[in-house]
Amino acid sequence: MIKLQHVEKVYRTSAIETLALNNINLDVQKGEFVSIMGPSGCGKSTLLNIIGLLDEPSRGVVEIGGRRVEKYRDRELAHLRNEKLGFIFQSFHLINDLSVLDNVEIPLLYRSSSARQRRALAQEALEKVGLSNRMKHFPKQLSGGQKQRVAIARAIVGKPEIILADEPTGNLDSAMGNEILSILQNLNKDGATIVMVTHDDAMAKKTHRLIRLFDGTQVL
Amino acid sequence: MLRHLFKLTWNKKKTHALLIVEIWASFLVLFGLASLIIFNARNYLEPLGFAYERVWAINLQNNQDTTDVAEKIQQVVRHLGTYAEVESVTRMGSNFPFAASQMSNGVKYNGTHSMMNFYTVDENFARTLDITPLAGRWYQSADSVGKHRPAVINQKAREKLFGEENPLGKILNNDGENTWKVVGVIGNYKDKAEFMENKPAMFELLYADDRWNSTLLIKTKPGTDALFEARLVKDVTAQLKGWSVEVDHLTESRTNQHNLTLIPVLIFLIICSFLLVNVALGLFGILNLNIAKRKDEIGLRRAMGATERAVKQQFLGEIWVLATLSMLLGLLFTVQFPLLHVFDVASGVYLLAMVASVVIIYLLVTLCAWYPSRQAARIQPAVALHEE
Repeated sequence: MIKLQHVEKVYRTSAIETLALNNINLDVQKGEFVSIMGPSGCGKSTLLNIIGLLDEPSRGVVEIGGRRVEKYRDRELAHLRNEKLGFIFQSFHLINDLSVLDNVEIPLLYRSSSARQRRALAQEALEKVGLSNRMKHFPKQLSGGQKQRVAIARAIVGKPEIILADEPTGNLDSAMGNEILSILQNLNKDGATIVMVTHDDAMAKKTHRLIRLFDGTQVL
Repeated sequence: MLRHLFKLTWNKKKTHALLIVEIWASFLVLFGLASLIIFNARNYLEPLGFAYERVWAINLQNNQDTTDVAEKIQQVVRHLGTYAEVESVTRMGSNFPFAASQMSNGVKYNGTHSMMNFYTVDENFARTLDITPLAGRWYQSADSVGKHRPAVINQKAREKLFGEENPLGKILNNDGENTWKVVGVIGNYKDKAEFMENKPAMFELLYADDRWNSTLLIKTKPGTDALFEARLVKDVTAQLKGWSVEVDHLTESRTNQHNLTLIPVLIFLIICSFLLVNVALGLFGILNLNIAKRKDEIGLRRAMGATERAVKQQFLGEIWVLATLSMLLGLLFTVQFPLLHVFDVASGVYLLAMVASVVIIYLLVTLCAWYPSRQAARIQPAVALHEE
């Protein structure tokens, strides 16, 4: 489902060159739940951005769903992100001026679907995360755990095959964190491939496989 | 997507309130300016209805002389006709073409009342100003023997008073005892130059014994110069002892009339341009700031599948929605102008001004939003999401 071969990422400025990822090789199978761990600044988010087609590697090959993406243009990458990938972020990234329902509908705005279809899919996604009673609320009226559940609904509304979660429990207490993890586990059971960046060992142990990074290098 | 943009803009209405007011005010100012320009441009395209080239106006003031005034003026008229340089002479009131003075009167026909510009001119007026009647004829001195004073009206007066009815031979009156018989109809008569609105006008016969209307118009032959003017003034002054004689060239008077219209429009245009430039700079700044504040949203949308183009279109779309809301508020005001016939200006002028203002506002906001939107589209999603 996700394949990375000899991936490197170098950030260059006029003064310095930083190697963020060094020779990463990764193969995530369909239906796997993989966690990525490592200290701050080790390249976890960079790796997730590359898998999520939000950033390009400086070297190496990225394959998503069997398709090599290095020659893809902006439009094709956007299409792939929209169809295949769902993102969950530590800081939720909800749009405060839109209701919960409208926030969840966002990925569907970038594909051809009617307003009625969008509404129905968004409602279905919110029901899955247990927030069907908060559809008309605005993000500021929700708790952190509820916000993350909205973000999960938004990630799954387009029925993507892959869910990429960047420290999804990082801003939540342990009870809320467990609740979010259990939602992710249920999604995984339903067939979604999940790659999750986390700092939490306990969380990581509940996934199928752990990948450890240190200074941009894969150590496990 | 349009619905999404409307929703997003509507939910941010408090944040956007000042921006909405700014665009609304600009729209109203533009509407005022556009109405003024379109009104004058439409007038300019309407023909004057007479020829002013080589026509001079000789204003005679009798001052303290009160004896045989009418006869003395008539003598001058006859004398001017004898010059080889003069093609024709006519006598009229002080409201000669391009002059500052004007006279209006209410006239009735069969219960229909209309205000019109009023001119007392003699039988040679049409010949001197190359006016050809569209219907009937210009009156003659001989018409003065009738019971009703002969009159010629213009097409606008005909439409106001008679509609489709034939006006020739019809009797007009005012609230007093004056009555006029229509003997002819002419086309336009815009004596305050090209920018004047074509208004209803009526010409009545000036009787030879009239002592009040003492302006003479002469049409000179091509090549007539200032030497003749000097000679003419000298002769007339010698003929009319104690009178004042002043000569105006209609071409120069016309230029003065143009300036009277154009200078205020130009001043208004300059003020509006400054205002619009300020609005544009303000908009540009606000949009730039907005985009800087919404980087995480841009990153999120890119992650959710928005292309660069979609991001650009979103920001342009938002400002178009904002402009549309502002202009809808503005249109509530401006639409009253044609509905209430404010300033008695044709509805078409206001409608055209509204369309022009809408187009200019859309162009202005697009111009201001283009660069910030392009910048937004170029933001790397990973960077945008990371910056939050």
